[in-house]
Amino acid sequence: MPRNSGIILSSRCVSGGDIERRTSSHAAVWFITFPCAMPTDNKRVRGPEVSQSPSLFLCEPAGALPSHGPRADGRQRDQVDVRPVFVRCGLVSQAKGSAYIEAGNTKLMCCVYGPRETERKDETDMKCGRLTTDMRFAPFSCPERGSWIQGSQDKDLSLMLHESLQPAVCLHKYPRSQIEVNVMVLENSGSVLAHAVTCASLALADAGIEMYDLVLGCSIRQDGTSYVVDPTYTEENRCSSVSSENQGGLTVAFLPSLNQISGLQSDGEMAEETLTAGVRTCIEGCYKLYPVIQQALAKAVRKAAPPPSES
Amino acid sequence: MATVQVSEAEKVYILHGIRDDLRVDGRGCEDYRHMEIETDVVSNTDGSAKVTLGHTVVLVGIKTEIGKPRPMLPDEGYLEFFVDCSANATPEFEGRGGEELGTELSNTLYKVFNNKHSVDLKSLCISAGEHCWVLYVDVLLLQCDGNLYDAISVAIKAALFNTKIPRVHISADEEGGKEIELSDDPYDCMRLNVENMPCIVTLCKVGHRHVVDATLQEKACSVASLIIAVTHKGTVTCARKVGGGSLDPESIFEMTEAGKRVGKALHAPLMKLLQQEESLGKTQQKVGFLG
Repeated sequence: MPRNSGIILSSRCVSGGDIERRTSSHAAVWFITFPCAMPTDNKRVRGPEVSQSPSLFLCEPAGALPSHGPRADGRQRDQVDVRPVFVRCGLVSQAKGSAYIEAGNTKLMCCVYGPRETERKDETDMKCGRLTTDMRFAPFSCPERGSWIQGSQDKDLSLMLHESLQPAVCLHKYPRSQIEVNVMVLENSGSVLAHAVTCASLALADAGIEMYDLVLGCSIRQDGTSYVVDPTYTEENRCSSVSSENQGGLTVAFLPSLNQISGLQSDGEMAEETLTAGVRTCIEGCYKLYPVIQQALAKAVRKAAPPPSES
Repeated sequence: MATVQVSEAEKVYILHGIRDDLRVDGRGCEDYRHMEIETDVVSNTDGSAKVTLGHTVVLVGIKTEIGKPRPMLPDEGYLEFFVDCSANATPEFEGRGGEELGTELSNTLYKVFNNKHSVDLKSLCISAGEHCWVLYVDVLLLQCDGNLYDAISVAIKAALFNTKIPRVHISADEEGGKEIELSDDPYDCMRLNVENMPCIVTLCKVGHRHVVDATLQEKACSVASLIIAVTHKGTVTCARKVGGGSLDPESIFEMTEAGKRVGKALHAPLMKLLQQEESLGKTQQKVGFLG
């Protein structure tokens, strides 16, 4: 930037107008603009809006993955082959409960605060507690840079996380209270919602919130006649050159001991039989994941409160 | 969603009725309420439709604009959905109250149309990488009596059937830049093929059975619902569980099958009705909002 140009600072909305202050070496000039409806990021000096990711200018098309044969990371198609998962509870000391999950390159962490008094007194429910969920992506988590402002995708995922967790938590045991679940996606390498559900239920268990059962998530991607379980980011987002009927993704949140589905979300286009088969596959994937999660939880509990030594 | 308070005795009454396949207003478990559809109600739009399903009234207006295509898909146009819950429907929607419900509805609509076959996006391209048609689908909820997804999807299908996209002509001007010319004839327009557009069916789990087109009272007795978007061929474009309860896998399979059956049966009469209305042309008696 040339030396004599001004620096534009914008401050938060004050009494209905957006006030921009332009400082230059000579004088300070105040501009008042009309408030705009879109939420803008007032804390950072943004670069020009026309910036683009260089991946758009790649020579060969990025989405030319084969739909047969083994997958890029060596797992099998058409089999319940989930990525090996690393989980740890109790990483954030300030939170009541927390959990971190890594599956392949997907990294998420979740913190639970509560039960505590409801912030907004007019929303206090006398008979049962409230569960609020918030799922955010770090801007550097996806191959394309996202913004810090919560887009509609974040809100949508937060809502689905809420719907998946609500049946499992014994909210009637926490009247007039609020339990907050915050999930932060550090790296998005596919099936983010499924792992967020698992991570959140682990964090709730770590916080000592009473639950009926752990909620586990699993997702598949249907591609023509074959499917892949626990897809990576490239597997999820590629547009297949073969424009066949069955193309879509499905995420299921499942309570294994109670055999109940607490969350289901699918998009793309699939035949009804494919959808049914996909749900069954996801349930199998959840059963595979269950022992690992249980072990991690037991380990965390033993670490926090070691059993009395036999003497 | 606008909710009603239902007493325990009323809940038991509704539950027992549904168990015997008899709902409070006399319908069977898979019957819709009386539905009225009218297209071309708002003259400022390029396509519009109003749907009345029982006491739920939804108005959809479609405006076509020329915009820049998305960087990753340079030879396709796109649709933008926006759902506005008007404060007329219920006082809960005043100010920003209806925003949450509106975003939930718009996000589901994006998912429903997020596939290659529902709308032919390539026909919306004007010149690859530079200009394309953007269809802004704006949904307005005027009255809310349950079953918003179904009414909205039928209204969108009717409005897109009614949409007239003007034909454009690209010509090169003197400096070598491209110039867009709109045809002078107002009837020279392109229509969209809505055959493959899905319709949403909401199935509410009440007791051990599921009901289609639940009223607000029936919704208050259910803990979970399944939303399923079905095309006329029976393909499922979006399935989603809503509500704070959990469902048995067997119920989900039953509900998807019922949803597919009901959804498939909805398309043929709807297309017939839309074509009939279209063929009336000028002789069509407009009912508007006062009928």
